[in-house]
Amino acid sequence: MTLSLVLSLFALALVRGTPILLAALGGVLSERAGIVNIALEGEMTAGAFAAALLSYFTRDPWIGAIGGVAVGAAVGFALGFAATRWRVDQIVAGMGINLICTGGAAFGLIYVFNQAGVTPQVPAINQALWPMVLLGIALAAALQWAIARTPIGLRLRACGENPHAARAAGIDPLAVRLYASTIAGGLAGLGGVFLALGELNLYSDGMIAGRGFIALAAVIFGRWTPLGAAGVALIFGLLEALQFALQGNIAWLPSDFLQALPYIAALLALLGASGRYRPPAAEGKPYP
Amino acid sequence: MNRESAKALAIGTFGVAAAMSLAMIASHVSPIVGFNAFFYGAFGGKQQIAETLASTTALLFPALGIAIAFRAGLFNIGAEGQLLIGGLLAGWIGTRIDVPPAIAIAAIFLAGAIGGALWGAIAGWLKAARDANEVISTLMLNFIAASLALYLVTGPLRAPDAAGPELSLLPHAYWLPTLLSHTRATIALPIALLAAFALRYVLDSTWFGYRLRAAGEAPEAARRAGISLSRVALWAMAWSGALAGMGGAALVAGELHRFNTQLSPGYGFIAIAVALVGGLEPLTICVAALAFGALESGGLALQAAAAVPKDAIHVIEGLLVFALAARRYLGARGAGAR
Repeated sequence: MTLSLVLSLFALALVRGTPILLAALGGVLSERAGIVNIALEGEMTAGAFAAALLSYFTRDPWIGAIGGVAVGAAVGFALGFAATRWRVDQIVAGMGINLICTGGAAFGLIYVFNQAGVTPQVPAINQALWPMVLLGIALAAALQWAIARTPIGLRLRACGENPHAARAAGIDPLAVRLYASTIAGGLAGLGGVFLALGELNLYSDGMIAGRGFIALAAVIFGRWTPLGAAGVALIFGLLEALQFALQGNIAWLPSDFLQALPYIAALLALLGASGRYRPPAAEGKPYP
Repeated sequence: MNRESAKALAIGTFGVAAAMSLAMIASHVSPIVGFNAFFYGAFGGKQQIAETLASTTALLFPALGIAIAFRAGLFNIGAEGQLLIGGLLAGWIGTRIDVPPAIAIAAIFLAGAIGGALWGAIAGWLKAARDANEVISTLMLNFIAASLALYLVTGPLRAPDAAGPELSLLPHAYWLPTLLSHTRATIALPIALLAAFALRYVLDSTWFGYRLRAAGEAPEAARRAGISLSRVALWAMAWSGALAGMGGAALVAGELHRFNTQLSPGYGFIAIAVALVGGLEPLTICVAALAFGALESGGLALQAAAAVPKDAIHVIEGLLVFALAARRYLGARGAGAR
């Protein structure tokens, strides 16, 4: 393999990995505050669809991008609100949100554009693709620092580990969890924006294709740290890129196996990592 | 039915009706016309009732399986993959054997159960032996199942008469007998109902069911009482997968009459909603499956007759699940919840 080929492979890995990375950062944020975020998939879907929709009607892709992040954040707020005020089961609520978002986007496609499956082409921000990749990596580093080294990060972690102790120290766990879930939704929404307006210039049904769930796996394999999750997300991106590079080049390797490569890798990682992953102690547990 | 669940049922019904009215109004359809189309599509005649019953059956098997896992405190999101692998094995066996129809049909269901059980047991074993998070493993196994099935039917198991990603047609004698002639309502429905009664008995009245519920509701206490949590995880996931796999077999032998990788339009995911709406109780799940089956077939009719997109139904199902999350069906799920 020549150097240029290797470089283009890594470039592709960064592009494929970034939406997963953004959503995974959201996952880290909400889970460190104590909210299991299985709704990342739905938040990405909502962000991508809203971005394409707004870009289509305003003809301004930046409004679309901001709108996509805002809608993702709104979905995150809904999850956070239900988790903190109604004390719902967070995994069940997250699955409900996923159904609502994917169904809602499909409904919206037909309702607004009168066609199933895909929006028309919309104004995109393809020129911002690489800045967004860099933004993702910078965000990972910034969040790593903020969670580990700042008072706000300490409060966030306290709410995920022991909300009662946090309460005793004068922190409002419900508010922290709500904020964290909202920002998490915004980050996942940005991941959707990246796919819809950064890489492509449309929204199509199923375009998120399980990336929200892969992001969830990245959160766990990254041990709930932003840099760890970002690293795993980029490895998933590399596996996706490899799939493109190897497709048709190795006769004995079926392409369906390559397609399943990221998921098989995740499963093997689970197998090899028994007991080494400890989630935040109060994750998923309603407070008070 | 106690007062609490009666109240929940009333609120749920009202909420669904309200949400459907909104979807209709948004689509510029009068709710009177819309509900008319919906109810006609779900219950309007023999064909419509049969469609509702067919959807009910397709949802009931995986929903019962999901209930087993959830009652054991395990979030099995993998019914879709378990259903697919079960259907694959069922569809393969069905084209390979030459026995009397009754035995063949039994073998097809058994193959479905075994395929689903093996696929479920992978996640169960990962949980038992490596303490691996089952939400992640079952999700990943869904994707892997789809790729594996596609590989097998387009590669090693490629059928000469296949028009798409599918296996050969089953011999006509092995097709499930219909309940209503010339419809898709087959004897898979009574089989599923039988499974529901059996499951109720197993969960409520057997030692296995007791250990399973103990592990789900109070894992720490169960462990101290000598119940092996890892053994429960393994068997609960295997049985959970077995029921989902039987759902795959029912689709293969009853509806498509062959295995196709597009076998399920997400039944395994909607079944999660069915199981939760049914309160994880086998007999209530049967009622929930009928309601969701009616939503599915009525939703299709609504789309055809009144141009309200069928996806509106999925939004409504999602809203139901979201609302139900507030009710704490799952008890204390210490070990199960991670």
